[in-house]
Amino acid sequence: MTQRRHLLQAASALGASALLPGFAHAQSGAKKFQGVTLNVSTFSAAYPKLLQQYLPEFEALTGAKVNYDAPSFPVYNQRADLELSTKGSAYDVVNVTFIYSSRWINSGWLTPLDDFIKNPNLTPADWDVNDFLPGARAPETGRDGKLYGIPWTAEALLSASSRFDLVQQAGLAYPDTTDDLVKVLRAVNKKERVAGFVSDSHYGWTFVPYLHAFGGDVFRKAPDDLYPTLDTPEAIAAAEYYASLLREFGPDGAITYTPDQVTQALKLGRVNFTDAGQLHLAQLGDAATSKTLKTLKFGQVPKGPAGRFPGTAVHGLGIPVGSKNKEAAWAFIQWALSKQTTRKAVLAGYGSPARRSDIDSQEFRAKQVINGNDLAQLALDSIEQASRTGHMKYRTVSVYPQVDQQLNKAIALIASGQASARQALQQAQAQSITELKRAGQNL
Amino acid sequence: MSTTLILHPGTGWEAARRRAFLWGLLPSLAVLLAITLVPAAALLVASFTPLSLTDAAGTFRFDDPLVNYRHLLEDERFLRSIATQLKLSVSSVALQLAVGLALALLLNGRSRLLAATRTAFLVPMVLPPIVVALIWKILYTPDVSPVHRALEAVGLPVRSLIANPDTALWAISLADTWQWFPFTMLMVLAALQMVPDEPLEAASLDGANRWQLFRYIVFPHIRPVLVVCGLFRLIDSFKAFPLIYVLTDGGPGSVTEVTNYYGFIQAFNFSYWGYASAIAMVILAGVFALSWLVGRLGWNDHDKR
Repeated sequence: MTQRRHLLQAASALGASALLPGFAHAQSGAKKFQGVTLNVSTFSAAYPKLLQQYLPEFEALTGAKVNYDAPSFPVYNQRADLELSTKGSAYDVVNVTFIYSSRWINSGWLTPLDDFIKNPNLTPADWDVNDFLPGARAPETGRDGKLYGIPWTAEALLSASSRFDLVQQAGLAYPDTTDDLVKVLRAVNKKERVAGFVSDSHYGWTFVPYLHAFGGDVFRKAPDDLYPTLDTPEAIAAAEYYASLLREFGPDGAITYTPDQVTQALKLGRVNFTDAGQLHLAQLGDAATSKTLKTLKFGQVPKGPAGRFPGTAVHGLGIPVGSKNKEAAWAFIQWALSKQTTRKAVLAGYGSPARRSDIDSQEFRAKQVINGNDLAQLALDSIEQASRTGHMKYRTVSVYPQVDQQLNKAIALIASGQASARQALQQAQAQSITELKRAGQNL
Repeated sequence: MSTTLILHPGTGWEAARRRAFLWGLLPSLAVLLAITLVPAAALLVASFTPLSLTDAAGTFRFDDPLVNYRHLLEDERFLRSIATQLKLSVSSVALQLAVGLALALLLNGRSRLLAATRTAFLVPMVLPPIVVALIWKILYTPDVSPVHRALEAVGLPVRSLIANPDTALWAISLADTWQWFPFTMLMVLAALQMVPDEPLEAASLDGANRWQLFRYIVFPHIRPVLVVCGLFRLIDSFKAFPLIYVLTDGGPGSVTEVTNYYGFIQAFNFSYWGYASAIAMVILAGVFALSWLVGRLGWNDHDKR
């Protein structure tokens, strides 16, 4: 049994060496990191799970031993935030979480990767950092212009209808604008006991595209001017609009829905429309568990009076500044996000790669077409648009978690009838200002 | 040696025994100190600083040690969280005591059926808190809840209790009661075994009815146990977390945001560890004050019966 495992490891290492000639050359054919133990931590998600399966390949190739830890998203973030703040050496590779990226990068808790990338002894030229989407690299870049994380996912917030057949029966098209969405929801809400709309109760993520669409914003001009702008007429109109979607067209208890609940409700056809992350929406295409596969339709988040502003999220792998094995850590990141590894993941069904070459590949595009909808193209368009307009900059500033909380509460207050949109957003604005001043912002 | 012991009691056998006991106890005391008092002291020290993880080195300072406590007095969200905490604690502990006592009285007997029922009622208490929270998440989600479906089937539809600001806190209180009433039940059952038969028989012969037997003989016997149960549960209720985290996330709005949960948000969402430590110290002081108050009320004093 052990012999067989060694044989498999050796075979996969041989394969990887052949596939990664630059990397193997950098190791001079030897196991350069023999005896090194790397502590890698990220949150549990599709790509990290695949990496965990592929680990024996890296260990056989480099001789390094990898302790791999992938707890749930909130647990990971809390642990990593605490550990990085101490500049300790507990982790060698971490996930650079989107909403914490500015805090972690600009506090000096991560190592710039530019020198590793430029060094031909450490990184082969064909590894090609420019193959990663510019929109995905931007949030991993510090104010100093240096790159601190290599993205493994670039995800977009999209719109979906699980029972588009009901919309068609009503003689309507897929809603392209916020007005269209209301018109469609009025026509299909509660038809065949299917509620009209629900979204993840993390409104600091799901509501913001609507805030932008109505001409509002979270801050005056992130990241340079972080004065909150939550009580503008545009923001109030957007909040009233969004809360009314939940109040009028949501299932009972809509404001308590988690992302998994939303996915499940759409899979079972209990709710028709949502706005959700692409990775969650891709699960609706699972023929084994989705009852609505044949009636699915995807689209971009709706356009409002000010335009269309899809949400995007990027996560990457980075090296803590306190790591004592930086070169081996870079070898891990380089391997984990090499063209060969990411392509292997795509072939295994991975749904949101950040490499352009993967996104453009036939294999990926074929898998991303669900019931005739090209999910990959929708996501790509969203990411490119976010890159052009820069409207996602609000999300990576270090104080966003404070404002995020206020938005969650404001929408819940309005949707549950505890406050009007004006009252809730004025309260959110006042509390955000207090919190930001407390965080040391000069407003 | 024995001569010395007799002549010098301070260094005698008794003293030597005490010293031996003390030396024997020292390792345990040291461990106890390390795992309880040291973290508590660290919490107290942190509460005197504006420690924030975003600038840990720059904020671990003591130039204004009461800044967090002053801020707490002006923090409306914190003050609201105390009121929420008190509502949740009082309602859930009162319910747990009432249900636990009632079931203990019903199940106090020697039949196999009663023994099996007692065991079944203990299940909620031994479940991991997060599992309990998930069970109630299902029960409170109208789409998938068998309770909601059954009520709808008999023409009594009920809207989601955790999405309604008027019922969300009571829904959590109910779930907490379900999880923890077995604790009171277990303790009271043990106390009921200790109630002597003689006074019950004598009172019965004198014509006392069941209520009078309970009111004047059984209840005075189990009252100290009920006080201890109430105190334990009250202290534990201040640590309410999994149910709120899973069921409501402190909402809708902030109607279920108890003090402990608010402290968690300050520490883990905003990285204000100094401020969160001050919140924890206030909770600690509150628990001590309540325990002292319960002690002063004398409900657990046998001699004053």
